[in-house]
Amino acid sequence: MANNIIDLKNISVSFDGEQILKNMNLRIEDKEFLTLLGPSGCGKTTTLRIIAGFLQPDSGDVIFDGKLINGVPAHKRQVNTIFQRYALFTHLNVFENIAFGLRIRKTPEKEIKTAVSEMLELVNLKGFETRDINSLSGGQQQRVAIARALVVKPRVLLLDEPLGALDLKLRKDMQNELKNIQQRLGITFIYVTHDQEEALSMSDKIVVMNNGEIQQIGTPIDIYNEPVNAFVADFIGESNIVDGIMREDFVVDFSGNTFKCLDKGFGKNEAVDVVVRPEDVDVVPYDEGMLKGTVTSVTFKGVHFEIIVDIGGFKWMIQSTDEQFVGDNIGLYIEPDAIHIMKKSEYSGLYGDFSSYSEEFDELSNADAEEEENE
Amino acid sequence: MNKSDTRLKRIMTAPFSVWMAIFVIVPIGLVLYYAFTSSEGGFTLENIASIWEYRGTYLISIELALVATVICLLMAYPLAYSISKMKARRQQTMVLLVMLPMWMNFLIRTYAWMTILEDTGLINTFIKFLLSLVGYEFEGFTMINTNGAIVLGMVYNFLPYMVLPIYTVLTKIDRSVIEAARDLGAGGMDVFTRVILPQSVPGIISGITMVFVPAVSTFVISKLLGGGMTYLIGDIIENYFLGNTGEVNYNVGAALSLVLMVLILISMGIMNHFDEDAETNGGGLF
Ligand SMILES: Nc1ncnc2c1ncn2[C@@H]1O[C@H](COP(=O)(O)OP(=O)(O)O)[C@@H](O)[C@H]1O
Ligand SMILES: [Mg+2]
Repeated sequence: MANNIIDLKNISVSFDGEQILKNMNLRIEDKEFLTLLGPSGCGKTTTLRIIAGFLQPDSGDVIFDGKLINGVPAHKRQVNTIFQRYALFTHLNVFENIAFGLRIRKTPEKEIKTAVSEMLELVNLKGFETRDINSLSGGQQQRVAIARALVVKPRVLLLDEPLGALDLKLRKDMQNELKNIQQRLGITFIYVTHDQEEALSMSDKIVVMNNGEIQQIGTPIDIYNEPVNAFVADFIGESNIVDGIMREDFVVDFSGNTFKCLDKGFGKNEAVDVVVRPEDVDVVPYDEGMLKGTVTSVTFKGVHFEIIVDIGGFKWMIQSTDEQFVGDNIGLYIEPDAIHIMKKSEYSGLYGDFSSYSEEFDELSNADAEEEENE
Repeated sequence: MNKSDTRLKRIMTAPFSVWMAIFVIVPIGLVLYYAFTSSEGGFTLENIASIWEYRGTYLISIELALVATVICLLMAYPLAYSISKMKARRQQTMVLLVMLPMWMNFLIRTYAWMTILEDTGLINTFIKFLLSLVGYEFEGFTMINTNGAIVLGMVYNFLPYMVLPIYTVLTKIDRSVIEAARDLGAGGMDVFTRVILPQSVPGIISGITMVFVPAVSTFVISKLLGGGMTYLIGDIIENYFLGNTGEVNYNVGAALSLVLMVLILISMGIMNHFDEDAETNGGGLF
């Protein structure tokens, strides 16, 4: 049995009569990289604040290392935080920012010097000791914040969208660095992001949240391949989600056709949501298609083309390295292992149809898609 | 920045520049001129030299202003701190209350203190009344016309100028910075001494400047509440310019003003040394 460092039990939080966290249960294993993933406002920061001790839950228990810590104030918890906007001490230089926690602990000056320079080395900021905080770039400030939190040797590091303010290139670099630091130090990271790619590439375990509720907990591969409902399927990557009927184990009907699949354990003729990822659909000649449709939009994405196909009024997104043209009639082929079956949920019918696709994505493809639709 | 930008800036700042030129630069020029000329108009250092006579007055002016400033700071900081911790609505009310006295005329406010502090004023009358009830004859305290009364007048009149800048910096301190300190293990006292106090230094400097400068150069307060017992340097300067007690002498008056100005500049310089950031706040006044 894995060793849980943090255990959240039946946590509920309300602000102004509105429930922000709804009976949340979460076990966090020691030394794991766990990511809280969800859209803005779903309660990620609130969850971190409860763990850090800045917020008391209305009900529920926070357990750290087997001990109930509900009433323990923030400054007495073995948990440190990287804040959303760094929250550095602007009246102190880089060295003193990092030394802050050690000075509070009355660490001898010599040890402080050693520890701070070790940290500066860890975050690649050697030689920045006397620099003013305001003279640093966003990325450098972020590194100071990381060093400042790590120098006091926390058991758990909480990171609240730490890379949100950085540009794409720097963000990728920092993702790698953070992952390295976590593995090297062997401490638990609880990482908050609304960026699904970031979550997939960094985490040991992902917790998908929406509206103050945990939707799914699993490894990145589980979450991507076996989403439990339409919300998760749509939030993690692109998904075509259609209504289907489970005829029997390993057989499902959708879009007017019968398909083999790898899923079982549903009731006979149970209504289900069927997920097919855009990259798992093969384009074949019209006559050979299991599904047949008309191309309504094509967008070049570099690695592949993003193609919207109208199949009986439902718009599918497929990704293919072969270019197709608007107005073409094409066939689609789907392997059994490309089909994922989910139970119906409150999210059924809300996601996974690319008719409204243009609104969800960046403005460039937005303009493209609308042009196509107007034709 | 392109040329039209700089031109626009010049046009926008023109009214202020003209104002500054007429009402700041020219008067300073005049002060300098009078300070270094004799009544006949020739260059002289006599005015400056004659100021030695008033060293005691400078000292007492600075001493009283310092005492008033320190008292203001000790009263204003806890007040500003507790206001900044209140709910938004209460903060507004409290700030309004702090500023309320400033809506009343400075002279009237100071006259009011006269009637309160006088030998036959409110306080003494009240105490006498109370003691007479137990059959005790009391002569009353001497409060008016003392240095204490002058300091009281300064504190009363200038306290809002200490509260407001400190309150402003305190409300601007990022909540997450305080949380970061707590996160790193700082308890209430450490958070205050290591984060809140240092981050409010610009407001403190601003407040000290805004209290000390008018206090050290006041003549109204000392005249009304000091009753001529204590002359401050402002009184002496006023006398030279208006001739209240003797002849009108712009030259010595200007020399006294000049030295006062230099003393203020020096003390501001020392203050700003404590915090380079203060240049944008208190230091900007000069
Ligand atoms: N102190 C607060 N008072 C009132 N509402 C709050 C407070 N903190 C957060 N909320 C609300 O709680 C919800 C969740 O917030 P948060 O946990 O910050 O979301 P996330 O970090 O996932 O974006 C939001 O709707 C937010 O407006
Ligand atoms: Mg947040």
